[in-house]
Amino acid sequence: MTKKSTILLIVLIFGMGMIFASCASMQSKPTSATFKAPIVALDSVQVTQYNGYWYYSGKIKPTKGKAGNNSAVLPLAFVFNITNPNNFPVKLDGFGFTVAFEDFDVNMVNAYETQWIPPGKTNQISVPSILDVRQVLLSLLVPNAFKVKEKGTNAWALLEKWWTGIPAYNIPIYVKGGAATFIAGEEQKVVSFTAKFPK
Amino acid sequence: MKMRKFFIILSAVVFLFGLSSMAMAKVIKIGGLTDCTGATSDVGKDYALGLSDAWHYVNDTGGINGKKIKYTWFDYGYRIPEALTKYKLLKRMGVIAIEGWGTGDTEALSPTVFKDKLPYVSASFSAHLTNPAKSAYNLFFAPDYSTQARANLTAWFETRWPKNKDYGKRSPRLSCVYSFPSPYASAPIKAIKDQAKMLGFEIGPDQDVGLTSIDTKSQIMALKKFKPDVCWHGNTTMAVSATMRDAYALGLHTDWLVNFWGYDENLPRLAREAAEGSMCAGPAYFIGSDKGMMKTVKEYARKYTPAIPLKKRLKFTVTAWANVLLLREALIRADKAGDLTGPGILHKGFETMSDFAIADGGLGTSPVTYTVTDHRSTGIVPVFELKNGTFHHVKTINVKARWPKKWASQWHGW
Repeated sequence: MTKKSTILLIVLIFGMGMIFASCASMQSKPTSATFKAPIVALDSVQVTQYNGYWYYSGKIKPTKGKAGNNSAVLPLAFVFNITNPNNFPVKLDGFGFTVAFEDFDVNMVNAYETQWIPPGKTNQISVPSILDVRQVLLSLLVPNAFKVKEKGTNAWALLEKWWTGIPAYNIPIYVKGGAATFIAGEEQKVVSFTAKFPK
Repeated sequence: MKMRKFFIILSAVVFLFGLSSMAMAKVIKIGGLTDCTGATSDVGKDYALGLSDAWHYVNDTGGINGKKIKYTWFDYGYRIPEALTKYKLLKRMGVIAIEGWGTGDTEALSPTVFKDKLPYVSASFSAHLTNPAKSAYNLFFAPDYSTQARANLTAWFETRWPKNKDYGKRSPRLSCVYSFPSPYASAPIKAIKDQAKMLGFEIGPDQDVGLTSIDTKSQIMALKKFKPDVCWHGNTTMAVSATMRDAYALGLHTDWLVNFWGYDENLPRLAREAAEGSMCAGPAYFIGSDKGMMKTVKEYARKYTPAIPLKKRLKFTVTAWANVLLLREALIRADKAGDLTGPGILHKGFETMSDFAIADGGLGTSPVTYTVTDHRSTGIVPVFELKNGTFHHVKTINVKARWPKKWASQWHGW
């Protein structure tokens, strides 16, 4: 290899790099007029593990470990279909929503995993939500206290109903106030969504 | 010779990839711990959404000297063990500062953030967090709860008390109503009583009203015996509204002064006429304001949380913006000094701010100052009252300027 050919090779590598870079930028040239909002739809909600319904106050001595206001955890996985109707790829850059049992908000979750959705295709995202009885109890006793009273019920009755009914899919779970942020090139779109499961 | 050529080519490749990775490296990670669904979610959710909106604004307006923010936040549901776990996760993710939430997580994490030297900007405005010797890495933009309480009582004393029929005949009477075991609710009690004593009040017995109370009749009956001219309520909105409703129904004729997180746009909705005339410190604009950069705040609320109508947003959105833009300024200064570490953000960021106007005052906040020995952000406290269901400015009390000696030598840290 001569000195001349070495220089040529280096120029070639840079040139290819520039071409690749410009190709990448050519691919992402959507405008606010051409960027169609991706569609977010709840596919299913899965109870990923069931631990029953129970609550031990901090006064109860546990067999092992420390005493505390410990309670049954209810892990849920929300699976969404995200469809990209555009002819260019779209990046999902933020995804969050509120989980509600009946009309009580019980959790707010965010997903931070970035993913690209190919043009015209549908991706799936599974978002976990972990709740325990204690957390929801406090929510019912403080911010929702008036609402619970107006409904003529009490926090414990609601908790038992939810923790036994939701694993059997007898009680609808609501997705509220959802917001998904999508990016394509320099453009950004925030899509709002709501859902109910079972439908 | 062949080896030399190989290295030249390899260097070119490395250089090319290096350029692209340099571009990718310009991200600053910030964490968030919030309560959107737990015991304090009635105020916490709005604050959490405000934080998220404001970080979008920071990125849209140049980031930190061109570096983008990656903001990762969790709803810890006001479960302290969960807050500790998420803190560890955020730390492992490499965040250089955290936007925290209330007294629960802030106090539980205070020794840890001190040890880890990780700036923790939170919505707990307890005066206990303003002494850098104990909690150097806990910061916030607002006057602390104690300073707010002193200003609130002083504003009432100077505007309401002179209109009382007994003015000049006897001392005004004060009672404190709050959740005794709650660190948030009890934080400013010593300070407000100290202020009351200084202004010549007679102080009645305290009443314990839990944060979960929706029936406060027994406490109201106890208050009626003392006949307070003014009551301080230290809880959050739900319990404050329940107390006001019971007081109104049972004919307790008193004025109400309320702690910061018990006084928002939901209060007149929940307590209606029973909340009329109540007063509170307003360290930043209410959400209904159109002053300063409030138009931008509302635009971002609409854009990034489109499913929540603006009429449901609260003043805590603005509170969150103020804390975010405060941290932004600290990051900009530390970055310019080439030191985006925890100590760098503290000493070359926060502690270089002297009478700094956050967003040029566009959020209605008072200018902030942090020194190496004092993290009380400001002594200037605008006080508001509720009149016909809306909030009106009554008077601004500059606690630091009014009582400079006490401020400097007696009131720090409580």
